[in-house]
Amino acid sequence: MGHNNINGPRPPVRFAHASEREFAKLLDFYVIRWEYEPRSFPLERDAEGRVVESFSPDFYLPDLDLYIELTTLKQNLVTRKNRKVRRVRELYPGVRLMILYARDFRKLLAKYDIPAISSSEAG
Amino acid sequence: MSSLPVTRPAAGELKEVLLSEEQVRARVAELAADISRDYTGRDLVLVTVLKGGIFFLADLSRALTIPAALDFMAITSYTADSPSGVARLLKDLDEEITGRHVLLVEDIIDTGLTAAYLLRVLHTRNPASVAICTLLDKTARRIVPTLPIRYRGFEIPDAFVVGYGLDFRQQYRHLPYIAVLKEEPETSLSLPG
Repeated sequence: MGHNNINGPRPPVRFAHASEREFAKLLDFYVIRWEYEPRSFPLERDAEGRVVESFSPDFYLPDLDLYIELTTLKQNLVTRKNRKVRRVRELYPGVRLMILYARDFRKLLAKYDIPAISSSEAG
Repeated sequence: MSSLPVTRPAAGELKEVLLSEEQVRARVAELAADISRDYTGRDLVLVTVLKGGIFFLADLSRALTIPAALDFMAITSYTADSPSGVARLLKDLDEEITGRHVLLVEDIIDTGLTAAYLLRVLHTRNPASVAICTLLDKTARRIVPTLPIRYRGFEIPDAFVVGYGLDFRQQYRHLPYIAVLKEEPETSLSLPG
């Protein structure tokens, strides 16, 4: 997990992907506080109570009390994430979770004329 | 939706008219009537953000039946290589707004990030109240869900719209209607798996 600190230097955050880093920069620009993967939501446990499936949204925006998950362009992974998001909403009804689909995120970045970032820059 | 006027120079790159000039004009008049009623007897300052909001502010303010001061703000746009990394005001208000009623007049609310930033700036000056009047409300990608949108012209679908102040690379602002770009721009940024 990592977080930004709009009032001072921030600890380094190792993002899993370049798009997450770009999203964090966008939030920084508008002075929106964020935390990176701060919480994991258990979705399923085995008979012994061990967590066998969980979901860790990419971002948490504390001032908005909102979790945000960025998605992939691969439909099978989107389907899996959608299922997990639905499950989070069922199990944790008080949690506000927004899923930002790849297409929407691309459009959002295009609005700002963000140039291409190669996959080699990811992470 | 009506067909595109072919006489406009940019029309060839537009897909369709989403809101005609007549629709915009009629809705602006309705919004002005609502604002005139709600702010009667109050010291009202209409604030818009350059450049997109100027057409809406001009038409809205001229349709008001109450007095109102006008003012403008401009902020840096987000870019991939934004030097400071943080938005900053390029033009601040000329008006003192402490104790006055501020209506932030926006051409469009999309993610809500810009509006949220401006609201924070405005609130630091202790106005009597701050609310938002937006011509277009695009909720599909709303990140800030708690904005005080008091007046809403149209809720629109998730499309890249231009005209009536809205631009794509500084083009199309002059169009008197709201149109959808023929091909939506997309970044080629790769996305997570």
